[in-house]
Amino acid sequence: MIRHSIRHIIRKEFTDVLRDGRFRWCAILVGALLLVSLGHGWVQAREAQREHAAAQATARDHWESQGEKNPHSAAHYGIYAFKPRLALSFVDEGVDPYTGTSVWLEAHRQNDFLLRPAQDATAAQRIGALTAAQVLQHLVPLLIILLTFGALAGERERGTLRQLLATGVGRRDLALGKTLGIAGALALLLVPAAAVGAAALVVGSPGPAASPVARAAVLAVVYLIYFAAFVALSLAVSAWARSTRTALVILLGVWVVNGLVAPRVAVDLSKWMHPTPSALEFARTVEREMASGTEDIARPDNEALTEGLLTEYGVERVEDLPINQSGVLLQASEEFGNRIFDRNYGALWDTFERQGAVHEMMAVAAPLLAVRALSMGLAGTDVEQHRHFAGAAETYRRDLMRRMNGDLTENSVSGDFSYQAGAELWESTPPLRYDAPTLAWVLGNRILSLVVLGGWLAGTILMAAARVRRAEVT
Amino acid sequence: MTARTVLRNEWRLLMADRPLRIALGLFALLLVYALVNGVVWTRFQERTVEAAQAGNVERAQALAQELADIEAGAEPASRFSDPRLPNVLGGARGRHTAVLTPGPLTALTVGQSDLLPYYYDVNIYTNESSFQQNGEVESPLNLMVGRFDLAFVVIYLLPLLVLALSFNVLSEEREQGTLALTLSQPVSARGVVAAKLAFRALLAVGMVLAVSLVGLLVTGGFGAPGRILLWCAAVVAYALFWFVLAAWVNSLRRSSAWNATVLVGAWLVLVVVLPASINIAAGLLHPLPSRVQMITAQREASNEAVNRRSELLARYLEDHPEMAEGVVAEEPGLGALAWAATDAVNRRLEEVTAEHDARRAEQIALVRRYRFLSPALLAQEVLLDAAGTGDARFAGFQSQVRAFAERWRDFFVPAIVAGEQMDASALSRVPQFRLADEASGEVARRAAVPLAVLGALLGLVAAGAGVRLGRVRGAT
Repeated sequence: MIRHSIRHIIRKEFTDVLRDGRFRWCAILVGALLLVSLGHGWVQAREAQREHAAAQATARDHWESQGEKNPHSAAHYGIYAFKPRLALSFVDEGVDPYTGTSVWLEAHRQNDFLLRPAQDATAAQRIGALTAAQVLQHLVPLLIILLTFGALAGERERGTLRQLLATGVGRRDLALGKTLGIAGALALLLVPAAAVGAAALVVGSPGPAASPVARAAVLAVVYLIYFAAFVALSLAVSAWARSTRTALVILLGVWVVNGLVAPRVAVDLSKWMHPTPSALEFARTVEREMASGTEDIARPDNEALTEGLLTEYGVERVEDLPINQSGVLLQASEEFGNRIFDRNYGALWDTFERQGAVHEMMAVAAPLLAVRALSMGLAGTDVEQHRHFAGAAETYRRDLMRRMNGDLTENSVSGDFSYQAGAELWESTPPLRYDAPTLAWVLGNRILSLVVLGGWLAGTILMAAARVRRAEVT
Repeated sequence: MTARTVLRNEWRLLMADRPLRIALGLFALLLVYALVNGVVWTRFQERTVEAAQAGNVERAQALAQELADIEAGAEPASRFSDPRLPNVLGGARGRHTAVLTPGPLTALTVGQSDLLPYYYDVNIYTNESSFQQNGEVESPLNLMVGRFDLAFVVIYLLPLLVLALSFNVLSEEREQGTLALTLSQPVSARGVVAAKLAFRALLAVGMVLAVSLVGLLVTGGFGAPGRILLWCAAVVAYALFWFVLAAWVNSLRRSSAWNATVLVGAWLVLVVVLPASINIAAGLLHPLPSRVQMITAQREASNEAVNRRSELLARYLEDHPEMAEGVVAEEPGLGALAWAATDAVNRRLEEVTAEHDARRAEQIALVRRYRFLSPALLAQEVLLDAAGTGDARFAGFQSQVRAFAERWRDFFVPAIVAGEQMDASALSRVPQFRLADEASGEVARRAAVPLAVLGALLGLVAAGAGVRLGRVRGAT
């Protein structure tokens, strides 16, 4: 009997929603934006990935065909690394427009990633970038609010709540029925979009990623939790508010804080709690430490190194060494530089990550921040995964330099500037291969967001249950 | 009943409405918060600019000292960092940092100033690839989200306040049954709505402008009156647009709830959906050329140029002067050879960049047409441009640095090619970067079109509202 009444409520709510012209228009708009942004994201990600892969191949080609030269000249010539676009980046481009796309791997220096797409775009593009993730994070909650704010407040205003309860329907069943009816209407919008997204992923994955399907599945669950929390919150407010107007105003207020105010406040808060040095200051520090070392990291002592070599090979003069002393000194200087770079860049990245954690903590006030962090993480477009690639590129650079210095050391003698290596050496260095981090790695970074998002779901459901139980009839 | 009476009554009513009072208080708080953020950012940039300029002076002094010592008979620390060599004096050691001082209204609009570089190190090796650099150190996440500055409050939140203040100016009177009474006085519905909205506009716009002026007092004073006027004009026009939109919706004589829904929908479409859709359309129809291909072109250019042995050796010595101690470096024309290679790469880079920039300018011109569809985009453009944190001022700065780098090269390269040395007297003649900031008139010319379109939109909606309100009679 009770189950039966729930079915009625669900069907009634569902039909009501579909008949509501406002919902129809909003849903069509949001649905269209979702599909267009998915399509656009996919085309763009694929294009970018194709281009980066081609550029990477050309870079390798340049490296291999650089002709005969001294290995250290080759080290200076270096090679470019291009950041791949991962499979799910078409759903959420994340911070990608604001990180560089390529880095020059050369001797002596760890370079910055350059060519941020946002720098080439205009200010207008900055305020209005729209990805599928943004539709899901901003517009779907708005749709939920519009669907739900009148669910109970409206019945009460029209005086139908008393009638309904008089027929013997429990408040909980009523609320549950309404929720499921609304969920059904939303599903009409979200299921096709998810299907399109999944199809895009299967038919032509834009780029590489570790376990893209598992990532996509978790992504779907994350968004479902977010939407469920919004439905529960809206229902709670609708049960509590005295009028539909109050319910709508409160929920719109929540929406504005969640989507507009909190994210930007998090920026300022994170900068205030974990300030970054200015670019000028940072460059000067690196320059100074490269010139004279730090307390813990001394510049390599070239004389001592030379002495050591002479002793090791049992010769008197540098010219008598069977190896090229320059290679050894260059490698020592390279390793010294690496420690300086690790120290400075490491600290900078750590600060960025701590700033990110402030954003995640702010999710206590705005669930969007938790969902955004998870969404970017799963799409492979968050700060951590940029750092992951930057780390892989830097490791590759260091290996390349070691190989070049090793060849110089082994195959030439000190003072011989005429030594030249050829294609054989260039081809013997492996190309840059990048493995995207695993799902577990991504989720491990996002535990805070997972906890906060779970907290939001539990909290809003409890709140809805309590409010529905105590909902006034008039 | 005069407009004064309406205004006085409105003030009393507003003060009696607790939610509205709270909303206004909250808005004031957000304004102050946004301003504080902007001021903090301006100070940060000012400190950096000062440090960069101090660096120029320090480097010049150190070089002057070293040159004086050498003249007095001291040996240079290393013959390859000998400041008498033009490629050292004009190279990394003697580099000049060209600085763009923060826009006069940066405290009000952070704009693009957190993303785009506002200083470049210029030396003889500065070429097109030197301009491919990141701006200030900033987490990409923070760049993505953007700052909470006054421009953000104006573009996104001010319309919401305007709508909250005015969605029911007329409908409420009707719903409370006071409309017939009001209109029985010698006033028209048009007059009542105009007076009510004027009062609210004074309040909302007044708050924004007051906070803006305080911000200007704190950061730079009123040195750029033209820019300040433009900023105020954009704020006023944008806010008024939302007021007249509310008036027009009220003139449709529907319920307050209907008005609220429609106006929130309009906000959503004009501020959030349209700019986003415009960008998607622009991205699909006119994709920006990618810089990635530029890297490949650059690489090929430098391969070509350095593929001759003599130049290769020269470059090697340049890269590694300390390695070349004892190697004969005084072959005549070595510097000239090296410069020839550098120059060849520079020329090729300029070609590639010019091609890219032309395509980019074309695409941006196409994209910019669409901004007329969204008052939010129009307002944003003027707010940023007025503040001096828009794309145009940064582009202007970059082209000035380009010209400066050319002057710098012209100063040093002849000596490099001739293999001559320089002395302390050259230091006083070294080119200095002087920013020729854009004139207010230039900014105003750029802002004229978006402001005019915004004004036209405003006028159109106001006219529609005026006509319809003219037909409202108390009896309906």
